[in-house]
Amino acid sequence: MIEYHLVAEPPLAGTDISIGGVRLAAQTEISIVSIALPLEQETEATAALEAAYKLALPESGHSIVASDGARVVRTALDQAFILLPEIQHSPERMVSEKLLETVYTTDQTDVWAALTLEGSGAVAVLERVCPLDLDPSLFPKNAAARTMMEHLGVLIIRTDDAAFLLLSASSSAASFLHMLKTSMVNVA
Amino acid sequence: MIIPHPLLGPRDAAEFVYLGDACLIDRPDWRANDAMEKFHDYGYMRDNPPGEHQELWFHEQGDRSWLVVTRNVTTHEISKVELARDVARLQGRDK
Amino acid sequence: MNQINRISGGQIDRSRQIKFRFNGKWMRGHPGDTLASALMANGQQLVGRSFKYHRPRGIFTAGPEEPNALVELRSKAHQEPNTRATMVELYENLWATSQNHKGSLEFDLLAINDWFSPFLSAGFYYKTFMWPRSFWERIYEPVIRAAAGLGSLSMEEDPDAYDKGFLHCDILVIGSGPAGLMAALTAARSGARVILADEDFQMGGRLNSETYEIDGYPAAEWVAKTLEDFAGMDNVRIMKRTSVYGTYDHGIYGALERKTDHLAETNGAPRHVLWRIYSKRAILAAGATERPIAFADNDRPGIMLSGAVRSYVNRFGVTPGQEVAVFTNNDDGWRTARDLINKGVHVPAIIDSRDIAPRQKLPGTRIFMGQAVNATIGRKGLKAIGLTNEQVISCDALAVSGGWNPNVHLTCHQRGRPVWREDIHAFVPGKELPVGMSVAGATNGVLTLGASLQDGAQVAKNVLEDIGKAPVDIAIPQAEDEASDGQAFWHVKNDKKRAWLDLQNDVTVKDVKIANAEGFRSVELLKRYTTLGMATDQGKTSNIAGLAILAEEAGKTIPEVGTTIFRPPYTPVPIGAFAGRSRGKVFRPFRITPSHDWAAKNGASFVEVGNWLRAEWYARPGEKGWRDSVDREARMTRQSVGICDVTTLGKIDIQGRDAGAFLDKVYSNTFSTLPVGKVRYGLMLREDGICYDDGTTARMGERHYVMTTTTANAVLVYRRLEFARQCLWPNMDVHLISTTDGWAQFAVAGPKARDLLRKVVDVEHDLSNEAFPFMACGHVTVCNGMPARLFRISFSGELAFEIAVPSRYGNSMISVLMNAGEEFGAVPYGIEALGVMRIEKGHCTGNELNGQTTAHAIGAGKMVSQKKECIGNVLSQRAALTDENSERLVGLQPVEKDKDLIAGSHFITKGDTVNIANDQGWMTSVAYSPNLGHSVGLGFIKRGHERMGEIIRAVSPIHETEMDVEIVSPHFIDAEGTRLRD
Repeated sequence: MIEYHLVAEPPLAGTDISIGGVRLAAQTEISIVSIALPLEQETEATAALEAAYKLALPESGHSIVASDGARVVRTALDQAFILLPEIQHSPERMVSEKLLETVYTTDQTDVWAALTLEGSGAVAVLERVCPLDLDPSLFPKNAAARTMMEHLGVLIIRTDDAAFLLLSASSSAASFLHMLKTSMVNVA
Repeated sequence: MIIPHPLLGPRDAAEFVYLGDACLIDRPDWRANDAMEKFHDYGYMRDNPPGEHQELWFHEQGDRSWLVVTRNVTTHEISKVELARDVARLQGRDK
Repeated sequence: MNQINRISGGQIDRSRQIKFRFNGKWMRGHPGDTLASALMANGQQLVGRSFKYHRPRGIFTAGPEEPNALVELRSKAHQEPNTRATMVELYENLWATSQNHKGSLEFDLLAINDWFSPFLSAGFYYKTFMWPRSFWERIYEPVIRAAAGLGSLSMEEDPDAYDKGFLHCDILVIGSGPAGLMAALTAARSGARVILADEDFQMGGRLNSETYEIDGYPAAEWVAKTLEDFAGMDNVRIMKRTSVYGTYDHGIYGALERKTDHLAETNGAPRHVLWRIYSKRAILAAGATERPIAFADNDRPGIMLSGAVRSYVNRFGVTPGQEVAVFTNNDDGWRTARDLINKGVHVPAIIDSRDIAPRQKLPGTRIFMGQAVNATIGRKGLKAIGLTNEQVISCDALAVSGGWNPNVHLTCHQRGRPVWREDIHAFVPGKELPVGMSVAGATNGVLTLGASLQDGAQVAKNVLEDIGKAPVDIAIPQAEDEASDGQAFWHVKNDKKRAWLDLQNDVTVKDVKIANAEGFRSVELLKRYTTLGMATDQGKTSNIAGLAILAEEAGKTIPEVGTTIFRPPYTPVPIGAFAGRSRGKVFRPFRITPSHDWAAKNGASFVEVGNWLRAEWYARPGEKGWRDSVDREARMTRQSVGICDVTTLGKIDIQGRDAGAFLDKVYSNTFSTLPVGKVRYGLMLREDGICYDDGTTARMGERHYVMTTTTANAVLVYRRLEFARQCLWPNMDVHLISTTDGWAQFAVAGPKARDLLRKVVDVEHDLSNEAFPFMACGHVTVCNGMPARLFRISFSGELAFEIAVPSRYGNSMISVLMNAGEEFGAVPYGIEALGVMRIEKGHCTGNELNGQTTAHAIGAGKMVSQKKECIGNVLSQRAALTDENSERLVGLQPVEKDKDLIAGSHFITKGDTVNIANDQGWMTSVAYSPNLGHSVGLGFIKRGHERMGEIIRAVSPIHETEMDVEIVSPHFIDAEGTRLRD
């Protein structure tokens, strides 16, 4: 028995800011596992995905939410992220087993810091930092993209008409938060 | 500039990193008798004509794909964008 | 002061007054005024001094082209020089001061320059300050600098916030005059996403300044009605106070939106937003700029452009004077006379250079056809004008109209060349427009109202069809096409007096003639020799006349002479707007390690390593300087145990059936043979055979490797691996993803490292040397079940491990490690101590692997396999890269042990002269070794490996130092490597 125990201190934990009708909140209850599709065995992988989550692998730039709340985000031609709506002890193993080891998995939970941005002014806030066209006709609900905001790599997912989930590197979480908070202040 | 990504649509060139001419895909055979000479040319010799170039761009702030972008370097007109992996396979590159 | 020049009408709110100060004097205006119109209302004719001759100057225009009325706006840190009074919206307590004078505006001491003007003509500086050479820097430059420059800076940090942003649209319409409004309306009604941008705070362009009727409504009312139409459409974004300043590739436009410049208080809101607008198509409807006619002493306060006079009279309800004469070469000037008269302002005379019948009868106005203005009187304010027929007319203002120049600037930002249209005597956009741009209205040479409305709608229709949107039909509003004939008449010849072309830079007709006579005949040379068209206004009112005169002198036509190239920005953009938020501490993002908070609470100071902040050392009470801390950390680690956060090293997860084969391609040594559960040091080469990066790669499973890179190269190595995977070996089953931020990784180093870890790693994991030897790796759990990774690797040369836990536990993990290590005297160590220990051990970092180093030079030549395909192995065998006489890595120590080695010193064999030819190599890294008690260094020396024990001179001409040093093994400590295998 080890006499020490570890305490989780996720970056941005507790962040919950509302300015001008827009709310920015840390999303720490989320596990992220990347899956890579083995070359020439993509069919087996997508079949496993379909069996496990009842969904087809989304196209590049899109995500699909499974009935259990897991969100599959296509991040590259041979790669997707699975976002699980709670902190899992060993999410990588869980996903790997669920997909019958047809994919290569990597735990990405701690690589990222997640923030949700919600409210009717959310698009105006993002206009100051996000180069993507977020018009609903082009970036509808469940659209997803990796891009760059204020020199930070960001994975942006539209979770609803006026709600976004934003992921950026956990080591620069403070800059990530500052970037969005400054935008909220600037457009308020 | 805007690079029309074959999978993701138009993206600002700021999301990409430029490497060099797409001839870098055509890496010489290391076992060839004249490998040294071939690698020398591969590393150092480039034509730089005005007009269309085929260039390698990396979508670093995106889906991490390498692209072959056909771009006119005098007008910046981009006439074709392909996944570099497809181009490499078409050129017979394997493992 | 009363608003003595205020007249009836205009789009100002007379129910409210605004107080403002000009040169300390309180004045009043109304909402809707610009600073220029308010100054004019208050009878302030003299508003500044000219740049070179310090001539008194007044307001010349009513728009962005203003060359004269530049003021310093606001005070203290907020002060902004060269602000165009014509573009400043009046706000309560506005504070403006005039610029370019020593002493008061009325009595400028530097006005003496005007008396010396015969000597100060074009090229004066180039010709005069040639000799003696010794005067260049000591005398001429300080004197010239003191007198030069437009306006002055506060010399304080800009306290305002700035921001940037991104907008997208189908159609960007630039300019909201008749053509722009019709284009925007047509596009919007057809369902396109439209942005309509205008630099003015009042949409409508010239429609606000004219007495036109559209569909039976006064023009300004029609504008208001049209804007109401837009209000209900969510596919239209109306952007007032927004200057589209530049055209960039692929339909991208730069635009500056002035958010708070018109407000007395900003409450910290960003002053400007610099927008990057992505458009599928753009319609440029930027209107036209009126040009003056050059004549003798045409720069007096009170002389201004004729269209500007209409702006002041019609839009702002203010007249430039009580007796306003008009001098024109075209029909447009007559509109000015008529509008003035209709407002009850006396027009004593209209002078038309054309020898034709008067265009109309004007009651109370003397009409002079075929005449011109040839003299003016009134140094600080116009009093009278003299005509070519010797007539003298009393007047306190003169409206001058020389015709209109389409605003072609944005069409030229991609090197498009405008073309000359003889019928309107002006340049219009050429055929080579920027991709996606169309031009409408006056910018396209359509200089009358009815035609402009029609043109705007038609251009929009064409553009809509082009992007596959069906245009809806919109009734073209009824409006007249006013008379617009004119004559190419550029200047009134006068051999005695100066006639100004460029008011901002004090360039005269004579200067252009001198430039031509001296051979500066290309327009680009003319610009640089005379400064015609330079500075904040970029010659918007002066360029064409300058070209015309150059053409006249050179016996060419204007199109033969051509124009200078217009470049962004169209109008000035503050540097602060380009910087946006990127200033001070948020200049760029920063990254912190998982143990940052703990480190900050435990005496760490931090150093920037790329974007990372890393602990340099952990100061303890009583330590006198950083060396005390670093010496203690390095000593204690070697004596007992030290802990260092090494999370910043790049970590790349590599998986796939071909992962091992892939690593064999990208590393110079072999990884496919590495057993699961083992780590290997890897050396990466560039394709040219030079060392690129190094690090350890662990095999975590049959198809799973974890690569570490140096901190600096993490991003670059990842990029190169993707290149190798996708472009070079596209059929390998190998997949990459970065996990750098996912794991908090700590080096635990020192003889007590294992003892410490046994208190943290769960007991079922055997850490004994037998079970977990040097270069072992594996999955473990710590603190009762927390998944972790353990690597037995050592950068310090001690018995060492690196332990990684999910990064959210990193801050907790360092506390745990320190608590567990307390009984051993464990210390946290920073990157300085890490540096000391790696030098003691002879390990390379960026100092050694600096982009010039071969594997051969660091003694790793044999690591570069020639039995497999890998990046760099072919060219690494080039003769020069394997030359036995080339530099090799060695250790160095001072012969006199109390001396400190100096990094960067070059080595000279004893007895040789210090020169490049005798250079034997250089010192790459030095440190004081607390474990050895003297300075130690690493360096490269020719044939170094054969010269152990030799005493050589280490010379640093920069530091002016020299000392004898001994060449030794780079492994100062435990050369046999027994400790790390312990």
